[in-house]
Amino acid sequence: MNKFLGNKTAILLFILPALLLYTVMVFYPIVQTFFRSMYEWDGLSEGTFIWFDNYTRLFQDSLFFTSLKNGLIFAVIITVTQIGIGSILAFAVADAKFKGRKILRISFFIPVVLSITVVCQLWLSIYNGEYGLINKIFEAIGLEYKQDWLTSSKSAIIAIAFVNAWQYMGYHFALLLAGVKSVPEQYMEAARIDGATKLQAILKINIPMMAETYKFCLVFAITGGLNAFANMYIMTSGGPGTSTYTLTYLMYRSAFRVGEFGYGSAAAAILVIECLIATLIINRLIARERISY
Amino acid sequence: MTWMMKLRKNNPSMQIFLWLYAILSVYPLVWMIFYSLKNNDEIFVTNPFGPPVHLRFENYVEAWSKYNVPSYFMNSLLVAVATVAGAILLAVMFSYAAARLRWRFSKIAHTYILVGMFIPIQVIMIPLAILVRDLNLANTYGALIIPYIAFNISFASMVFYGFFRSIPIEMEESACIDGASIYRTFFSIMLPIIKPALATMVIFIFLNSWNEFTMAVILITKESLKTLPLGLLFFQGQFTTDWGAMGAAMTIASLPTVLIYILFSEQVENALTVGSAVKG
Repeated sequence: MNKFLGNKTAILLFILPALLLYTVMVFYPIVQTFFRSMYEWDGLSEGTFIWFDNYTRLFQDSLFFTSLKNGLIFAVIITVTQIGIGSILAFAVADAKFKGRKILRISFFIPVVLSITVVCQLWLSIYNGEYGLINKIFEAIGLEYKQDWLTSSKSAIIAIAFVNAWQYMGYHFALLLAGVKSVPEQYMEAARIDGATKLQAILKINIPMMAETYKFCLVFAITGGLNAFANMYIMTSGGPGTSTYTLTYLMYRSAFRVGEFGYGSAAAAILVIECLIATLIINRLIARERISY
Repeated sequence: MTWMMKLRKNNPSMQIFLWLYAILSVYPLVWMIFYSLKNNDEIFVTNPFGPPVHLRFENYVEAWSKYNVPSYFMNSLLVAVATVAGAILLAVMFSYAAARLRWRFSKIAHTYILVGMFIPIQVIMIPLAILVRDLNLANTYGALIIPYIAFNISFASMVFYGFFRSIPIEMEESACIDGASIYRTFFSIMLPIIKPALATMVIFIFLNSWNEFTMAVILITKESLKTLPLGLLFFQGQFTTDWGAMGAAMTIASLPTVLIYILFSEQVENALTVGSAVKG
């Protein structure tokens, strides 16, 4: 049996393709990101090693701080709306007994499976200053108020974050619903006998027992928000002006538009560190021991 | 349970909220399908909200024949199918070896592959673009398919690994006694057992690669290789006046994934949420 399961040729045949491809396409690039962030490099030549000059330059670049701030705004908006609304919907659907639960679940989830291009184009038409759905609704209820939501540098980032929140709310809803269902019925029963209200039971029993689910949702939403790119690329190209830049967009601009690959890599490296810090904080804040039941 | 029922009876606001959110979630999509069947006059002036008065299927004909939609569609299909086949094959082979075969570094190799789930594609875009160029893959189908396969290996391996671990060792023992080779055991005994996991991952990887945007926008510039998420950007600039055709193209692009979701809704939700147990 040991010989059967220890067949060296078979093992190599099974593992090498995956290991090789993964190492070349995923692992080597992440090392390169850090390595190249210390170069002045146009992507073609050898480049010159400049230690941490790219980082010093980043910390003096006002665009870097705009990007950092936008990433945080984006992350906070999508985290609060997706997890907040997702929780309410999940708790409500979990003990709903009325007809149509299946339709509700499908409705909440459908935007998740759409392409981000479709969603962004769709919302571009919804936000459109003249013909957009929102302004048409204002018109229909007799409001004279018209607004092009994406051309104001104050509201643009919020408008874009809402699009992302709308699209991926269903994902968090599905995760949280699975979490609610994993809490055993007898705990709720016990709470009911002790005279707890529904809300008390949710706050004191369900939510603490779903710590692992919440941890995942938080990590997913926050790192997703910090990494935001496609939404701005499609909807505003970072504009108006530079008001919807994020770190990923800054990286994209520096490398693929301006040709400063080293500077872009430094922005990407900061992004990795930022996501790492966020993940560590979340892990520290939320119960470190698994609750067993 | 009577307690909960009473609460719900006194509290219909929850139900109203659920249905309101369902409308908010679906109506934009319905609105898009509506306007894909309208002309500009109807979209902008006479009937912006409701269903179309005449079904103008000519918008679909126009989107399909005037713009490159068929080419984008075929590219998306080709890339998605190749990615599914490649990623599943590599991941299932690797995770079988990591979960069941006996070799010294199996745990380390498995962890090493799992790390990939925590690397967002955005942060390795620059080296990846250079790599694709240096490997002479730029502006070929390989520029998308190969990185897509690599990026799907981690997650798929994790799922398969779990399944392989749950199979009793007697399976291999009896196969070995019956004189089957390790390859035959893998293909004829192991793969059929993890069929449900295979089905789930096929759906997951297909949806992922059909919708992938960030890598595609950086790695593909040639018009004839563009996938749907990339090709649809074309409507953004000069053609915004033709909303009907734009709506039609977007509906065509969404049809495959929405159909897959509606047909396999449970599996899709499982597929998309299965990672939560480990990630995070």
